[in-house]
Amino acid sequence: MTAHEDLFTEIKAGYPKLEKDRAQVEPYLTLKVLAKDVAAFFAFLKDTLGFDYLDMVTAVDWKGPVNRLGYITEPNPNPFLPDGATPQVQQAPAAPNVAYRESFEVVYLASALSRGRKVMVKAEVPRNSPNLPSLAGLYKTADWQEREVYDLLGVTFDGHPNLKKILTPDFIQGHPLRKDYVHQKDRYDD
Amino acid sequence: MTTNPAPAPAATAAPEMKTDQMFINMGPQHPSTHGVLRMGLTVEGEKIVRAEPDVGYLHRGSEKLSEVRGYHHCVVLTDRWDYISSMMNNLVFCMAAERLMKIEVPERADDLRTVMCEFNRIASHLLFFGTYGIDIGAFTPFLYAFREREMVLDLFEMVCGARMTFNYIRLGGVMKDLPDPWCGKAKEFLEHFKPRLKEYDDLLSFNPIFLDRTQTVGKVPKDQAVNWGLSGPNLRASGVGYDVRKFAPYASYRKADFEVVVGKDGSCWDRYYCRVREMAQSVRIIEQILDQLKPGPVQGRGVAKVPKPPPGEAYAHIESSRGDLGIYLVSDGGFSPYRMHVRAPSFINLALLQESLVGLKVADVIAVLGSIDIVLGEVDR
Repeated sequence: MTAHEDLFTEIKAGYPKLEKDRAQVEPYLTLKVLAKDVAAFFAFLKDTLGFDYLDMVTAVDWKGPVNRLGYITEPNPNPFLPDGATPQVQQAPAAPNVAYRESFEVVYLASALSRGRKVMVKAEVPRNSPNLPSLAGLYKTADWQEREVYDLLGVTFDGHPNLKKILTPDFIQGHPLRKDYVHQKDRYDD
Repeated sequence: MTTNPAPAPAATAAPEMKTDQMFINMGPQHPSTHGVLRMGLTVEGEKIVRAEPDVGYLHRGSEKLSEVRGYHHCVVLTDRWDYISSMMNNLVFCMAAERLMKIEVPERADDLRTVMCEFNRIASHLLFFGTYGIDIGAFTPFLYAFREREMVLDLFEMVCGARMTFNYIRLGGVMKDLPDPWCGKAKEFLEHFKPRLKEYDDLLSFNPIFLDRTQTVGKVPKDQAVNWGLSGPNLRASGVGYDVRKFAPYASYRKADFEVVVGKDGSCWDRYYCRVREMAQSVRIIEQILDQLKPGPVQGRGVAKVPKPPPGEAYAHIESSRGDLGIYLVSDGGFSPYRMHVRAPSFINLALLQESLVGLKVADVIAVLGSIDIVLGEVDR
């Protein structure tokens, strides 16, 4: 834990408006930055502290448990139960202390390979206007990873050179990893 | 998925004879793309001026599926990403889930996980060795590689009944202990395999035609490799010694003494030869772990039938045969993950092609694409 504190103090010394995230991602130091500052913050991390390797870009939709409509009827089928028995698990219970909210959390993991350090960075964007600066200029690996987040969750990265769908086919409407996504029947159903 | 792009600007080195640009579709059924990958190539004569890998033909939405399945079911999903090295996919998901559930894994289970992963690395690199030869035009090595690969798959079949999609590594440990004759068979295989590495070198690695096709092609300098987020043998071939097994040791890798194989200039041959040399290191690791294998339980305590980990987030990453494979797992206390994200090394390594192919000849596309060693199941998930 002290290693986390050291890293936090070191980053905070160069970038004062910074705080730890409430939900720390095991086992890394997790920081929270404002969405509009993401590019500036990573430029600082890369140039000053040697975080030159971007491991991962992804996002989480915090709207609440997933909408099963249209693509799954029985969430936890158990073929060994006798007829008429109650299923073991019916529906995921709503967890009391999870902060569901109308926003996406974009999650980055960056490494300083030479010094053996990794840091998680989170930025929150509202669901109705999910925009934040792109990192594709700083790290080329962000190119496809941001396209994937855009395709599956609909988060728009401003300044991305080529922001278009990458995994889902052209005829898919909407962004499948959003929690309220409802599958539209197409010619591949049934 | 993309449509045909607009014509790209002409290549910088002005050709003596001006030719029209032509758009070529390579794939998605081309044999050397190892799956359903489409490459949109814009060529000027023989020279590539623009390359656009187009992925998504094998997208099965496993991240979405994991949000409606239990944690034990998700292990089955993991088998289907990188179906050439399923053991590692099982392991990384279990590690992330165990971190969420705070489950301790018994020592013997950790040892077995390590041994299986290294055997799987050998099987995966053998497949690369064989198919890369075919891509370049040498068919014979493929048959030699598959001879040994069969033996590894037989070992897997003995231990879990499957030759692919093993589902052997489970939450809290492994499926079951080794059958009695397994250790003997495994050591027998290792003794058989060690001299084979020399044979592979004679067959392919130092074959003059193979060297000509690969040694000067597709060089990726160090800073470019890091900036593109390459990992695994692709990154190490460029001279960056980043190996998760050393960087953040997991399972039983702390117990084993092995070296991180590093290449020089990141050419296709370097990437190829890193993998061949890594097989020797895998053999070393397996031997050391098997020698100090102690009896004990193979399943940890406290794994529920329907696990509901407390709300929290975890990230686990391992050195898979293709690179740094990571899982970001979020739990909200329900019986399925709230969000699972796969940091898929094949997907990230593949993105490099749009830059590194520009300026090469058409025939070299296959040499470079093969040397990146992608599995489309993992690219598209």
